Amino acid sequence: MADREQFLAHVRERIQSSGARPHEHYQPTVAPDSVWTPSRPRPPVWEPSADELPERFLAELRALSGTGARVADETAARDYIIELARHKRATLLVRWGDEPTDALGVDAPLAAAGTRVAVWGRDADARALCATADLGLSSAEYAVAETGSLVLVTSPERGRAVTLLPPAYVAVVPVARLVPRVADVIAHYAQAGPLPASLCFHTGPSRSADIEQSLAIGVHAPGEIHVLLVG
Amino acid sequence: MARTTTPKPARQRDTVDTRPTGPEHAGGDFNARGRAALKDEFLHDSLAMAQTRLAGSRTATLAALPDAPELRERAYAIKQDVIAHLDTYLERLADAVERASGHVHFASDGADAITYISGIVARRGARTIVKSKSMATEEIELNHRLEELHPGLEIVETDLGEWIIQLRGEPPSHIIAPAVHLNRFQVAETFSQVAGEPVPPDVEDLMQFARRRLRQKFLAAEIGISGANFAIAETGTIVMVTNEGNGRLVTSLPPVHIAVVGIEKLLPRVADLSVFLQLLARSGTGQKLTVFTNLITGPRRPGESDGPEEFHLVLLDNGRSQILGTEFDEALYCIRCGACLNVCPVYRQVGGHVYGSTYSGPIGAVITPLLKGDAAAKDLPNASSLCGACWEACPVGIPLHDLLLKLRNRETREGLAGRDQSLLFAGFAQAMAHPAAYRLGAAAGRIAQAPFISAGSIRRAPRPADRWTGTRDLPPIAGASFRDRWKEGI
Ligand code: SF4
Repeated sequence: MADREQFLAHVRERIQSSGARPHEHYQPTVAPDSVWTPSRPRPPVWEPSADELPERFLAELRALSGTGARVADETAARDYIIELARHKRATLLVRWGDEPTDALGVDAPLAAAGTRVAVWGRDADARALCATADLGLSSAEYAVAETGSLVLVTSPERGRAVTLLPPAYVAVVPVARLVPRVADVIAHYAQAGPLPASLCFHTGPSRSADIEQSLAIGVHAPGEIHVLLVG
Repeated sequence: MARTTTPKPARQRDTVDTRPTGPEHAGGDFNARGRAALKDEFLHDSLAMAQTRLAGSRTATLAALPDAPELRERAYAIKQDVIAHLDTYLERLADAVERASGHVHFASDGADAITYISGIVARRGARTIVKSKSMATEEIELNHRLEELHPGLEIVETDLGEWIIQLRGEPPSHIIAPAVHLNRFQVAETFSQVAGEPVPPDVEDLMQFARRRLRQKFLAAEIGISGANFAIAETGTIVMVTNEGNGRLVTSLPPVHIAVVGIEKLLPRVADLSVFLQLLARSGTGQKLTVFTNLITGPRRPGESDGPEEFHLVLLDNGRSQILGTEFDEALYCIRCGACLNVCPVYRQVGGHVYGSTYSGPIGAVITPLLKGDAAAKDLPNASSLCGACWEACPVGIPLHDLLLKLRNRETREGLAGRDQSLLFAGFAQAMAHPAAYRLGAAAGRIAQAPFISAGSIRRAPRPADRWTGTRDLPPIAGASFRDRWKEGI
């Protein structure tokens, strides 16, 4: 078994075995491929106003076969979820137990409509129930307009299985949490202190092109994704 | 810790991993495999379609990125820094993983990694392991070795394409499209055997069958094993990108997660991800981002009820350190996006199996002899027309054709070259003869120019070996008779 010090010493020795760095004058952008050529005509840099973000997000999500809608408030979001559960004849919904998801107030109306609700971090069997749930429901830290991505983080109230195991998944995000780009999210977490155990960009339904390069949706994770932008 | 050591009832077992992995198992030499591949029509059509699809959307999404050239410069510069100070970054990474309550193991070679992982399997009494996205474990033939060491252990590859080829006992044929060589009837035949009843040869039915079957495995597994696209020294985070979601399941559901990661995969800071995440998916599949981009930092935190209880990072050397400090060290900058495969006219003709290595295409032709030694992979650097399309496509700017040329020179110096370069010319000649190859975007036109590109015009490099320049004087004219002549020659 390699000892850490020995391993690192060996790496150090190998690096130092050569004298001068051999690549000092290499310029990766002399490649003739047009996308790397600095002198190519550049597309304009996208500098969206806050108003453009919801529309762009929804367009990107739809292009990935996801479903999205902008709703006026939490009540409208709740109604959408209840209608979806009714339409799917869902018998079981699992959801995050964090504050924004609690605030939707879906539990009582869903129970009245015949859909059992299991809450992550509160109901002991929530984890086991994810495997048989018809619907998952969560909030998200951010939504990324450029890519149609949700940014999901973990905590005791926010489990990964809720967003992964059910065949259909709904996320509710305030419009104020929309950011233009992936790079904005990275820049935020680069300075935000220790990262959560899991930070995930979840971008549209699960997809595979592994059989004859035909698109198959939902092979492991949800094939149906609804994102509700609130506000 | 020994929570799961009580014996469990026998479970239905789908897979015994019989895949021949690694160059030693690849059956015959590069040229023998190449001869078979050149005759396979379906393979040709699929590869051509995959290349056209992937390379086409790559170009479109990258062209829409205003700062693509600067990102490529940044990517190269960051990787250069990482490789030049790898010892420092490795140490930082290990400290950060431990701070996040993870375990780190430095593995000098495959045997070392396998011993460590085998210890975890024994301690946890594991019966089922689910795997995702791990070329490093394929490189060390982890599946075979673990199944030998632990009779009854089932190891399941969960990427749909990987699972299909695992069930069939075949190696992958493309970095990002491992089952691209199979049609749906072959897949249906395989699934029907597993199911014990017919599964219709319909993509949706096949996918649903795989979902149901693999779901059971995810829920039963005691250990998840993954690779990583990046490991971030600053925070001890590993980053995995997948489209199907299996990567997120493998790293979230089982009580133990083991990531096996080559030591070259480091990035210094979280901020560096902005550069690499913008390039990786665009270069590989032409997506702006893959469906799942996971940043995993240690095991689950106190109070959390999913995510692994134990997280292990196995940092694998296995020949990589021998490349450090040599003229070949840029090969370690690779982020395995697959772009170079998607533009390579030779790969288009022969497919991934021909390379007889975990790593195929231009990067495979470079990295395999460097990891395994020239003697084990001496035909590979010849599997290129040196047209430079790979270098052009590479988001990190690795001068792949330059490295190939240097490898040929090294082989020549060591007296290994020239025994049989005929397959190169077979693939090359077919590339010349197929008009479709000319429509290959970046590759177009360069094939014909290849004989005139000297490495010196791109970067100062030794002149090609005499034997090579001797045979390079081929008439650069495409035509059936030309191809037929070469066909007869192989
Ligand atoms: S060598 Fe470059 S293009 Fe090829 S897989 Fe690696 S990063 Fe991608």
